[in-house]
Amino acid sequence: MNQDTLLTNEVVVRTENLTKRFGEFVAVDHFDLEVTSGSIVSLLGPNGAGKTTIVRMLATLTEPSAGSATVCGYDVVHQADRVRSVLSLTGQFAALEDNLTAHENLILMARLRGYGRGAAKRVVEGLIERLDIDEFRNKLVKSVSGGQRRRVDLAASLVVQPRILILDEPTTGLDPRSRQVVWSVIRELVSEGVTVFLTTQYLEEADALANHIVLIDHGRATAAGTPSELKSRIGDQRVDVIALDTLGLERLVGALSSSFEITVSHDRRMVSIPAPHDLSDLAAVTSAVAQTGVSVDEIALRRPTLDDAFMALTGQPSDSASAELQPEEVAS
Amino acid sequence: MSAVITVTPAHLAAEILPERPVRVQRYFRETFLLIGRGLRTIPRVPERLSDVTIQPIIFTLLFLYVFGSSIKIPGMTYQNYLLPGLIGQSLAFGVIGAGVATATDFSTGVVDRFRSLPVTRLSVISAQVVGQIIEQLLGLAIVTVMGLVLGWRPHLSPGGCVEIIVLVLLGMFAFTWFGVLMGMLVRSSDAMQGIGFAIVLPLSFLAGTFVQIQRMKAVPRAIGDWDPLSAFVAGVRHVTQGTNAQGSWQLTHPVVAMVGWCALIIAIFVPLALRRFRRLS
Repeated sequence: MNQDTLLTNEVVVRTENLTKRFGEFVAVDHFDLEVTSGSIVSLLGPNGAGKTTIVRMLATLTEPSAGSATVCGYDVVHQADRVRSVLSLTGQFAALEDNLTAHENLILMARLRGYGRGAAKRVVEGLIERLDIDEFRNKLVKSVSGGQRRRVDLAASLVVQPRILILDEPTTGLDPRSRQVVWSVIRELVSEGVTVFLTTQYLEEADALANHIVLIDHGRATAAGTPSELKSRIGDQRVDVIALDTLGLERLVGALSSSFEITVSHDRRMVSIPAPHDLSDLAAVTSAVAQTGVSVDEIALRRPTLDDAFMALTGQPSDSASAELQPEEVAS
Repeated sequence: MSAVITVTPAHLAAEILPERPVRVQRYFRETFLLIGRGLRTIPRVPERLSDVTIQPIIFTLLFLYVFGSSIKIPGMTYQNYLLPGLIGQSLAFGVIGAGVATATDFSTGVVDRFRSLPVTRLSVISAQVVGQIIEQLLGLAIVTVMGLVLGWRPHLSPGGCVEIIVLVLLGMFAFTWFGVLMGMLVRSSDAMQGIGFAIVLPLSFLAGTFVQIQRMKAVPRAIGDWDPLSAFVAGVRHVTQGTNAQGSWQLTHPVVAMVGWCALIIAIFVPLALRRFRRLS
């Protein structure tokens, strides 16, 4: 295979029956995945679904208990060193040396990747410019903001253009502005031909970035498809009207049921109306509610959440109780 | 889509990654880079050196000036008794320093990042060990200079100088590997600090560091006789002052015992540490 060119639709990552057990706990259960070059594939699931464990197996940080995984055709167990040379990982916790500056961290990464002194400097200068690191380049990493840290972390993954970039929850814990920066960097990389595999717990993020989404829960793939395929299966967005009290709810149900297709949730004092047409549906519902004169707590246009997705695609809510259990903690 | 995408982005186009050198060369290059990373952080977190500097300094001052006037060692000044003891003790404290540094590295994810790079994995753990030894040597240099200023007079021939340097490096090497293994197992720097002190501190007090084992009561004397740290304390003292402790075999043959303990620690803990490192997950 030529290092510098790759065809689209070439398989970059393939897992077959990939399984990881930590004692009794099955973190990843017969997981099959195929990532083709030039795409962004997102693994979407709640905390503890097994996302990080899959990433760690692909990045050769932990060995599978059963099944197999290859990256660019190299086996993650038997050809680990080859896998490491074609892959870049940006882990969930920014893995930088806190007591080095952003610039020193990047130089170290470039040198470890094999560049000589001069080449490392030039590569790092390019990355500093590209990821807008210049203003804090000489600050210790421990004293920069979370978003800035993420940018350094991403830059560290790009000192060599990887065949595949793996991002484990790249925007968890970031403020919205930093999230936008990270997203735009990821989009730019993909436009340059980098294949990206990312995990996230935000439906919105998977939707914004990925062209293929795999839903995962309890270590198993529960559904997969393009964002629009999944959304059509999850159902459209809706307008939720929450009444102040039970009496108000009854009056709302009476007034709205004639002109809208409603579902009522009594415990949440909520009337829900499908809103395929966004704002015009919202406006129609709002004016209908206004005509009843009932005071409401909230009227809002809601997009499907990760919970809705799990409800629609698996028929059960994502189990957030067991989701608290981090596989890494089980391991140690 | 079947178009060919050429992956040579603008920022990298000018830089071609050099051919990868052979394994041995890579190992040394990467180990040096990683050692550099550790040493560069020392001036920024000076408190990290406290285990190997402040503590021995405090011990020296406290024992020399608080207890020193009440402790009589026949035939020598207390300085000449205490300083070799502190050097022996500081070797054992290397377990704590190395353990805490390793636990910190392994819990922040920075080691994971190194492990995900195409660098030889042995270089990651080698750099940890060598970096720790360099830190400890820095601490030891401070204690030695302070001891000399306060009146310590070692009797060292050129051969003795070489002998003490070799013994100190050997001891540091052994205890540092032990500490690295502990750090990987414990994984929390606070816990490592706590466990380390709970074990090393009492053992170092029983080892004849500050007072003679032969004058202790029966139970501490029995422990001190066979405490591995006693061999290190007595060994350093034997080389620098030419004196021998009385008691068990290891106290009357301290240099041989010290080398033996080092060999044992290395034989057991180096393979365990390497195995643990390979199996990290």
